[in-house]
Amino acid sequence: MTMSDDAQHRMEAYLGRLRQRLRGLNDHDAREIVEELRSHIKDKAGASGEVSSVGVDAALAALGSPEELASQYMTDHLLARAEVSRSPVRILESLFRWASLSLAGFLVLLTSLVGYFLGIVFILVAALKSFHPRTAGVWVLPDGADEFMISIRLGFGTAPPAGKEVLGWWIIPIGVGAGCALVMLTTRFAIWCVRQYRTSRALPPC
Amino acid sequence: MQDIGVSGAGGDQETADKWEVQLRKGCIELAILAALWHEKLYGLEILRRLESDSDLIVSEGTVYPLLSRLKALGWVKSEWVESDAGHPRKYYALTQTGRKRALDMAAMWARFSSSMSKLLAPLGKGTK
Repeated sequence: MTMSDDAQHRMEAYLGRLRQRLRGLNDHDAREIVEELRSHIKDKAGASGEVSSVGVDAALAALGSPEELASQYMTDHLLARAEVSRSPVRILESLFRWASLSLAGFLVLLTSLVGYFLGIVFILVAALKSFHPRTAGVWVLPDGADEFMISIRLGFGTAPPAGKEVLGWWIIPIGVGAGCALVMLTTRFAIWCVRQYRTSRALPPC
Repeated sequence: MQDIGVSGAGGDQETADKWEVQLRKGCIELAILAALWHEKLYGLEILRRLESDSDLIVSEGTVYPLLSRLKALGWVKSEWVESDAGHPRKYYALTQTGRKRALDMAAMWARFSSSMSKLLAPLGKGTK
């Protein structure tokens, strides 16, 4: 099968734009996608034996813009991963990719990071209470004249002079419970958001 | 696409169009699994099979990302095969999980379709 320089140039320009938009995927997956579409374009445009620029243009038009195509791959990828994985690490990895694509993804990532961070802090406080019985826990500290602030302390260093620790040993069951609940809720929230994003996107014409 | 034949406001027509798109889109996964039931096929062959054996008009930009997703779910596997055309092609085949999933979906489809047909029977009589 022969291919004119112009046809080759048009195809590579399209695939280059696509490849750039797939940068969130790992290298192997992105290369597979590009190679598969290169093969498709050659088959579609070269049905008569020679691949012409007109044929390539028609094949590219049928595929849609590289941006839209890449975004479908990325979202499908995110959803498939979220569906098969409940691991916070995997989910955060997917959210980082989504965040690079849209503001909504960035906000979901931010919320999830806060959720996971607080969850882990609660679990850590519970775990460290046995080692720092006098200092680890939830503290109420005076802040100005009538104001108070609540501080979750892991117990390293000395106890704050004017503060009062409020939960005592109860921090162990409460910390573990609240921490696990936060991690679980954040995971569910993230998966729910990814699904909503996917279903709310305009459906491509079938 | 066939004419849906809705007379009324433009908004109604648009809603009906969207509904048909959703309906078709919901079927594509099962249609792809069914196309791969007997043999492995590459992307363009799957597209042609869907077009020739069904009324599903599927855009090319939809099928490839969907195949990638089916692979991520472990329902299909893929391999590169050299072709006479001078470039390799990526062939897809069902995995055991994919086969089971296709059977489950086909059974669900049959149940759904027969109960809908019962419900829709009076509408058919009404238009004759």
